[in-house]
Amino acid sequence: MQTKMRALLFALGSFLLTSAVVGHAYYQRKQFYPSVVFITKSNPSMAVMYTQGFVLVLLVGKLMRKLFFGQLHAAEFEHLIERSWYAVTETCLAFTVFRDDFSPKFVALFTLLLFLKSFHWLAEDRVDFMERSPVITWVFHLRILCKILVQKFLRKIHLIPRVILSALLTLLGALDYLFVNSAYHSTLSKGPSVQLVFGFEYAILLTITTNISIKYILHTIDIESENPWEAKAVYLLHTELIVGFLKVVLYGLFMLIMARIHTFPLFAIRPMYLTTRAFKRALQDVIMSRRAIRNMNHLYPDVTPEELANSDSTCIICREEMTSGAKRLPCNHIFHTLCLRSWFQRQQTCPTCRLDVLQTAQPQAPPRPPPPAANNAQADARPAPPPAQPMGHRPFHMPHVWMPAAPRQGNAGDASSDSTAGASASSSSTQAGPIPMMPPPFAFSFPAHGFPFPPPPPFFPPPPISVPLPPANFEGMTREELEALVGVEEENIRNRIRCLRNIQCFLDAAVLQMHQYSTATGRHIFTSNDEPTLPNFEGLLKNLQEEARKVDKEPEGAAGFSPPQAPEEIPEEDKEAAELRKLRLQRFSPNDDSAK
Amino acid sequence: MARYALRRLMAEYKQLTVNPPEGIIAGPMNEENFFEWEALITGPEDTPFEGGVFPAKLQFPSDYPLSPPKMQFTCEMFHPNIYPDGRVCISILHSPGDDPTGYESSSERWSPVQSVEKILLSVVSMLAEPNDESAANLDAAKMWRDDRQQFNQIAQKLVRHTLGLQ
Ligand SMILES: [Zn+2]
Ligand SMILES: [Zn+2]
Repeated sequence: MQTKMRALLFALGSFLLTSAVVGHAYYQRKQFYPSVVFITKSNPSMAVMYTQGFVLVLLVGKLMRKLFFGQLHAAEFEHLIERSWYAVTETCLAFTVFRDDFSPKFVALFTLLLFLKSFHWLAEDRVDFMERSPVITWVFHLRILCKILVQKFLRKIHLIPRVILSALLTLLGALDYLFVNSAYHSTLSKGPSVQLVFGFEYAILLTITTNISIKYILHTIDIESENPWEAKAVYLLHTELIVGFLKVVLYGLFMLIMARIHTFPLFAIRPMYLTTRAFKRALQDVIMSRRAIRNMNHLYPDVTPEELANSDSTCIICREEMTSGAKRLPCNHIFHTLCLRSWFQRQQTCPTCRLDVLQTAQPQAPPRPPPPAANNAQADARPAPPPAQPMGHRPFHMPHVWMPAAPRQGNAGDASSDSTAGASASSSSTQAGPIPMMPPPFAFSFPAHGFPFPPPPPFFPPPPISVPLPPANFEGMTREELEALVGVEEENIRNRIRCLRNIQCFLDAAVLQMHQYSTATGRHIFTSNDEPTLPNFEGLLKNLQEEARKVDKEPEGAAGFSPPQAPEEIPEEDKEAAELRKLRLQRFSPNDDSAK
Repeated sequence: MARYALRRLMAEYKQLTVNPPEGIIAGPMNEENFFEWEALITGPEDTPFEGGVFPAKLQFPSDYPLSPPKMQFTCEMFHPNIYPDGRVCISILHSPGDDPTGYESSSERWSPVQSVEKILLSVVSMLAEPNDESAANLDAAKMWRDDRQQFNQIAQKLVRHTLGLQ
């Protein structure tokens, strides 16, 4: 409130001063042109005029912001401040290169650039926010007010911000294009100047506008469609990739041109580095997620509705009951296909046990002992299991009571029952111990190795190469080093793709072998009657786990987290707390009704 | 995407209201926006934070539960794993790949298995047992290691503060 008052006073004072200066000049000279000369000749008057200009710019900016965005969210504001800080620093660095061109016009252009930039950022944030807010308000209004007329009216109201947003995006795109164009022509006609920087900045802004617009369109389609639109995430990933590529190319070009004409543009290094990193990540994401989703579609077995009906099956991703459309991962965890798909677009691991699905892509058949003859023959030839994931580790912060330990134990059990002949020592110890206090670390054996098939070729592609990160602020690096760095990044990406292709080859070969194997031995396997042992075993494990929890909890109550306690036992001095909680609960209960 | 997030948040909210864990209350700030929650966490017993009621807010991304929420205490806090501005820095609130401290292995990171309840319980146990390996507040971490008595005094002061007893 106070800063607002101060800003208001500042603006008012500036207006008063300006009118005083202008009035004074006019009073002295009586005519328009001489008054202007009078003002420009006097330094104090000019200072007042500059301040006035600054205030006007701020006011216009405020007005535009109000017009296009309304009230800013706290997060948006924070974001804006943070990014402007970087933008100002980097442009100041850019000034040092072009100090000869320094002029009021230059400052004006820079201010304009900063304004447009901040509008791009705001538009970006707003489009991200738009993905959720209209849906929510609709949902709730639809629930509370059930009259069709009201619904229609609300729909119209909620369209207004979207119309404004699309208008803004069009405007920004057009402005970016205009400025790029003018910078281009100015550079062509007058030779390279500071216009080069502006042209480049606007070109980057243009890619950002394109990115935001595509996102905006995707969100709009998603909101309008009645069914969840699963392809959206894929489109988003690819948009990110293409825009990232464009940006990297732009930055590369800019660096080259600048290095040839002036000096190496130091101010562009940070954004260049960030862009390259983002592009690399986008590329990696696209490749890995495609691979994981492919694996899911082709390798992992569908879970039949009967199987789902037999077990307690809540999809851990969406917390909803699974009735159909579920897949079983190699680790035996079951999820909705669609949920898994969107998760694989982020990470290629099992959500429950973090098994890396790209490293163990073979499908998991129902547990059964392999044919003894083949097993003996293969027992020695079985390759050493790849380095186990640190899955057995406990988080630092979480006392083990709260750990989702159940799936992991189930796993260890599956693995040990699966590989009866070649079971590792650690997994058989799970079965032997009467009450496992905690899941044994590294009890996890990769299921694919549980049954025999010819060992994979000796060469197994190395895990993705880790790229050494350059120093944070690129201090003490010469231009050559930086250029070399960019080259190295590209080379790494290429290597990675090659590596992934190799992996794919191996996987395909493995799948082929699996198919051959299962057709050859299929009849024998499906007549074996080991299937029912699995649920029994899981039940046993569950019991054991329950007991383990009980045992775990008892010492915990004495030293660790407070044991369950009735609310009446709250001490006297905690009355405020109790009051607060009561209020809170009261507040929640009506909400809860409306939420249902 | 957001619809999924909304449905899961509603399910979690229902679960938290029907079957609330001891010492924790959480729910959306208002019914217009289910992506911002507030939570009240009571300090665990037998720790310097015992008896305190600490308000915090949670911000959920539109792709929840694929990405973790952000959590920030809205009261003054002094703890090795809480930034001076109240943001909570524990491993399950980070997705693998973003690692502000460099001390967390990816097995402890966010995954859809986690939930609001698990986050809040982790925060409770973080209050009880700070992890000074990945410190967000260096002063607090140092004091917690070297001068436990003073740390406890500050924590007690904060507790009284949250109860409005100062
Ligand atoms: Zn699901
Ligand atoms: Zn799993």
